[in-house]
Amino acid sequence: MEEELEDLTDYSEDGVDLTLVRWFLSITPAERLQYVQRRANEVIAVWRLNGIE
Amino acid sequence: MGSNDYLGVLRVLQEGGVAFVLVGGLAAAMNGAPIDTLDVDVVPARDEENLEKLLGVLSSMDAIYRIQPTRRLRPEASHLRSAGHQNLTTKFGPLDVLGTIGRGLTYEDLLPHTIEMDIGDGIRVRVLDLQTIIAIKEELATEKDLAALPLLRRTLREKS
Repeated sequence: MEEELEDLTDYSEDGVDLTLVRWFLSITPAERLQYVQRRANEVIAVWRLNGIE
Repeated sequence: MGSNDYLGVLRVLQEGGVAFVLVGGLAAAMNGAPIDTLDVDVVPARDEENLEKLLGVLSSMDAIYRIQPTRRLRPEASHLRSAGHQNLTTKFGPLDVLGTIGRGLTYEDLLPHTIEMDIGDGIRVRVLDLQTIIAIKEELATEKDLAALPLLRRTLREKS
């Protein structure tokens, strides 16, 4: 019989990952800006690798 | 497309003395919503003095319209005076200068609904608050706006 695992996720009923929301709220606006900027530049880097501009 | 430097855009606007409100996806992220965005959206005050400063700053950023970039069309004062949207690209990345947002909301309409935030390097900007971002999206109710609402509402709930 499969062992029942503890549910270690926390999604709202409309599908929002609340752990991600709480983490983002725990950092400062300056850190949020750096994070979003870094993510955007990662996407742009992947575009470049694939010839998309 | 070069790398995006959101802090660079906002620093140049602030140091140029431009009165503006940060709106859009970056404003939502600054309020704590974990979302990605590829541009900076601002609503500037549209009095002549501010538009003159804004034009100077846009010129220093080599701002041109994103549509047909090979034509290198530069924004002019007449564009910025309008309620319309100027979708620009700059040496810091994409920048949208919005005359109004939602159902015709201007800088003056939005200002009471902003929070001044320290976004790093001593730069402080006026950011549209999450309640107002949500209210505008609820009112516009495009598919894109509706898709963003669950995350924004949950973020607001977790904040309070």
